Amino acid sequence: MTNLEIYNKAFMETFEIEEDKLAGLNYQDIDAWDSVGHMALIAALEDAFDIMMDTDDIIDFSSYEKGKELLAKDDYGVEFQ
Amino acid sequence: MLSGKNLVITGCLQGIGKETLRVFAENRANVFACAFQQDAEYENFCAELARRNSVQITPVYFDMMDQASIKEAAKVIQKSKMEIHGLVNIAGINKDAFFNMVTYQDMIDTFQVNFFSQIVFTQYIVKLMQRYKTRGSIVFTSSITAFDGNEGQVVYGASKAALVGAMKSMALELGGAGIRVNCVAPGVITSPMTEKLGESLLEEKVKRMDIPRLGAACEVADTYMFLMSELSSHISGQVLRVDGGM
Repeated sequence: MTNLEIYNKAFMETFEIEEDKLAGLNYQDIDAWDSVGHMALIAALEDAFDIMMDTDDIIDFSSYEKGKELLAKDDYGVEFQ
Repeated sequence: MLSGKNLVITGCLQGIGKETLRVFAENRANVFACAFQQDAEYENFCAELARRNSVQITPVYFDMMDQASIKEAAKVIQKSKMEIHGLVNIAGINKDAFFNMVTYQDMIDTFQVNFFSQIVFTQYIVKLMQRYKTRGSIVFTSSITAFDGNEGQVVYGASKAALVGAMKSMALELGGAGIRVNCVAPGVITSPMTEKLGESLLEEKVKRMDIPRLGAACEVADTYMFLMSELSSHISGQVLRVDGGM
């Protein structure tokens, strides 16, 4: 699996949504991505990529696209190419 | 009493923390035993405790003044892939000084160790608990000084009171996820910290107790064990004083 597939899988499984709904998805756009769902998503991503996210980044994680940008930082080193 | 539980304790190098580690291991918990610095004697203590009780004791080292080391410690625990059932925050510092003699840096350092870093470390551990949807227990170590005051402990008492405030709100926020949050407030306990108080002051304090003697570290450890165990499964948002009735 590529990192993008792993990333998408975390979203799809956590929020029980289809892949075609991921692009442009923002925090609280859907009922499942509330504060509880947010922490579940973070947990899923941390587990999948074996990382521990900083609180500032968890707060900053406001959309599907923003999440990719944050995970690509040197702190986590998740490449999506 | 703690069989099958994987628990995290901070401040295990000495005093109440070390005693709590012993009590937890003897009650069959696997423990991530956090300490300030690597120490051969401590590692031997952990290894012997693990062997004697057939449990897993993992020494973890971090400095509560250093946010990066706190995160690294949390990652060590994360990488174990073990389900975490509880955290006992014991590590703390006490820089006694009368009100007008407290330096700003001492205020910062005391709150850094006794409050900010404990909240940060707990954030990491709670995330691990939530990952496994664990019904868990978090305990902070407050102090009777937070409630009663004590000369020379303006900042220490304030930092321990801050933990009570945080605990109350955390209990509300995390209760729905099945995580209980409580404080233990030790009184005058025989420990390296109280040895500095002097005999006459200790005698004076003992006179004010319903049970007129210093507490033992194991009595505080037993209270932590109760709060980590299923015996306290409907207790959250509380402060348990372990002070002989002061």
